[in-house]
Amino acid sequence: MRAGGPVLLLAAVLTSACGSGAADTARHAAEEFETAAATGSDHACALLTDRAREDVDCTALGVPTGAVVDVAVWGDAALVRTTGDTLFLRELNTGWRVAAAGCRPVPDRPYECEVGGP
Amino acid sequence: MKAFLRDNGLGLVFGLLFLASLVGQAFSGNAALNERRLTDGGDPIGLWAYVLSSDFAVDVAENWQSEYLQFFLFIIATVWLVQRGSNESKPVDRIGAESDERQRLGAHAGPDSPKWARVGGWRTSWYSNSLGLVMLALFLGSWLAQSIAGHSAHNAAQLADFQDPVTWPEYLVSADFWNRSLQNWQSEFLAIGSMAVFSVYLRQRGSPESKPVGAPHDTTADSG
Repeated sequence: MRAGGPVLLLAAVLTSACGSGAADTARHAAEEFETAAATGSDHACALLTDRAREDVDCTALGVPTGAVVDVAVWGDAALVRTTGDTLFLRELNTGWRVAAAGCRPVPDRPYECEVGGP
Repeated sequence: MKAFLRDNGLGLVFGLLFLASLVGQAFSGNAALNERRLTDGGDPIGLWAYVLSSDFAVDVAENWQSEYLQFFLFIIATVWLVQRGSNESKPVDRIGAESDERQRLGAHAGPDSPKWARVGGWRTSWYSNSLGLVMLALFLGSWLAQSIAGHSAHNAAQLADFQDPVTWPEYLVSADFWNRSLQNWQSEFLAIGSMAVFSVYLRQRGSPESKPVGAPHDTTADSG
C-alpha cells in the first residue's frame, strides 16, 4: 500500500499527458478541413461529425479559414485555433472529426459556432 | 500456509476486497463514461483504454487521498485530542506525545524493540512519527495525482462542451477540484467522528474496535 501514492501519481501524469501524436493527427485533420472549406469542397463536410453535419450546406460552410496556430488535445477532444477561426474536434473511431467550426467565445458560456457546436 | 492465512487475514481479505472493488469500479466507470460520450457526440472506449484514462485515475485518486487524509488526521489528532469513554481514544490523562519511558524509547527500549526506537537521534525521531508521515505523504501524493488527472478529465469535458480548457493552477481553484475533494472529506470526517462517539455507548462483541460488552460507558481505551 505504501507504494500506492507514487504509483497513482505516475499513472495520473502518464494518463494526463497530451501525446504529441494526438496533437499532430488533430492538427492534420484541422488543416485538411481548413483547406477543403477554403476551396468550397464538399470534402469539408466529410470531415465533420454526424452531429455537426446536420443542417449545414456542404457547398458553402461559410466559416473563416486560415493557418493552424495552436492545438490543445485533452482526452478525445481538441481545440484548434487558426489565424481566422476556432475549431473543436473529437476523436472518433474513424479519426479526428470537426465538431464545431466558425466559433467565437462567449464569456462564461460555451462558444457560439456557425457549424456544429452546442 | 493455514497459519499464514490466519495470521494475515485482515490484510489479505481487505486486499482482495480492494482489488475486486477496483475491478468493479473499472467496469461501472467505463459504462458511465461511455454513456456520457454517446450523449455528447463522442464514441465509446474499451475497458483497457478507460483504465488508462484520466477519468479513471481521478475517480480512484480522489478516494485514495481522502482515506489517507482521514488516517493521517486521526493518527495526529488522537495524540492531542481525546474522547472520554471511547475505544478510539487514549485515556484523558495521557494527552500528548508521552514520555520516553512509556513509549519505550532509547534507554527504555526492550531487546525486541525496533532498532530505530533504540538508537536515538534523527532515526528515532523519524521512526517516532513514521506512521503519520507516511500517511501524510500518501495523502499529498494521491491529492496531487487527483489534481493532475482531474485537470485532464476536466479539460476533456470542457472541450466536449465547447468551452475553453483551463490551466492547472486555474483547476486547483476550480469548483470541480474542490467539489471532488470536499465531498470525500466530509464523509471521512463524519465516519471518524461518529466512530469515536458511537464506541462510547455501543459494543461489538469480540472486536478490538469496541470495548468489551460489559465495560462501562466511561471507560476509555479498552479493547474487547
